[in-house]
Amino acid sequence: MKSSIYIAIPVMLALSVLQTAVLPYFSFLNLSPQLPLLVALAWGLLRGLDEGMLWAFVGGLCMDLFSISPIGLTALAYMVAVTAVLWLQQAFPPGHIIMPILLAALTTAIYLIINLLFLRLFSFLSNLQVITTLWPLILLNAIAILPIYWLLYGLDRIFRPRRLEL
Amino acid sequence: MSEAQKRIRWGTFAVLAGVALLLTYLDSTGNLGGALAVVRNPFTAVLSFTSTRSESAAGLLEGPRDLQTARTEIAELQARVAELERENEELREIEGEWRILQDLFNRARQSPEFTRQIASVIGHDTSPSIRSIIIDKGTADGIRVGMPVESSRGLVGIIYRAAPNFSQVTLITDNASAIPARLGNSRATGILSGGGLGGPLTMDWVDLKYNLEIGEVVLTSGLGGSFPQDIVVGRVIEVNRSEANLFQQAVVQPATDFENLEIVFVITNFQPVNTAIFDNP
Repeated sequence: MKSSIYIAIPVMLALSVLQTAVLPYFSFLNLSPQLPLLVALAWGLLRGLDEGMLWAFVGGLCMDLFSISPIGLTALAYMVAVTAVLWLQQAFPPGHIIMPILLAALTTAIYLIINLLFLRLFSFLSNLQVITTLWPLILLNAIAILPIYWLLYGLDRIFRPRRLEL
Repeated sequence: MSEAQKRIRWGTFAVLAGVALLLTYLDSTGNLGGALAVVRNPFTAVLSFTSTRSESAAGLLEGPRDLQTARTEIAELQARVAELERENEELREIEGEWRILQDLFNRARQSPEFTRQIASVIGHDTSPSIRSIIIDKGTADGIRVGMPVESSRGLVGIIYRAAPNFSQVTLITDNASAIPARLGNSRATGILSGGGLGGPLTMDWVDLKYNLEIGEVVLTSGLGGSFPQDIVVGRVIEVNRSEANLFQQAVVQPATDFENLEIVFVITNFQPVNTAIFDNP
């Protein structure tokens, strides 16, 4: 887990730059997938809850650097969402293709609820009606998790091949 | 997993959550401004570089959809490309500079009392719930928190946070934005509220005695002292009026195209009125 943070910091910083300076130009309904959240979730699915939690925290902090919301708020929302979903995921059968899609949708929903509540608490939102315009993000993230998960799965297999016992 | 490992896991979670909450509290109370500016500053160059190339790539993808039309156009253009290519490149450079200067000149001519700083948009807020942008000018260029920001077409927002080399601008479409506004013809006043992502810009608290017209221009009223008077915000596209209510509401189409915003002007010599002294009687 210690070595993982050295990978997480540059990866999440790069993804946050993509999120703020590139993805808005290729958005769908003015929304773009939350790459750091999805990468943290996919990493957690592959490497366990502890690493997923840490990556979500780092990803959230990097995202906060490019937002007017108070720093730490996205980190908290990402971490709670990813940790809760990875903890719940242990109860489900592993390896099914639909699992990353469902988990990404659930993670995004939890993230949005926590994020909006805290934004309201800190007066960054005048009302919570904004959530009605954000639901497509759940769908968008649910679709976007698949290539991200497969990419990380492939990288994980290359750098950490499974031992075959005969 | 052993009990010790579980304790470590949830202990880590508690520590990280505590750190996040502490950072949130410190930042929201303004105690992290200087430290965060140091961290954010180096990213200005990266954002500027990335944003410019993303714009170009997005422009390429928005090419002609119709294949047949595209082929005809390509055939025609290929015949002319060799001759005009070099000349076009030079002209494009000149045109880009000319457009920016023309926009600035037009705005300056309309309200010569203000001095403006030109800034490029280099990023958008990473939170889907917040509408804000990042511009490439900061305190080193004379930008201060609270300065109004406009485009060549109308009001954009207000400087929320300023670091030496970049600033963050809250857009008027942000959910928490509330701007005192006035209508051009009827002279009715109200509060212009942002609807957040995809939500409409609405002018609320308009007295029923006014007859609002579709197409009426919406301007800043200057009330409250946060914005100068008479900056164009948009046009009325819908009026929600019911005799059962005490006030009517106008839905406003913003004059600025926020999705394709590239250049903005920061009004640097406007002094916002500090109304904080009225907060604690």
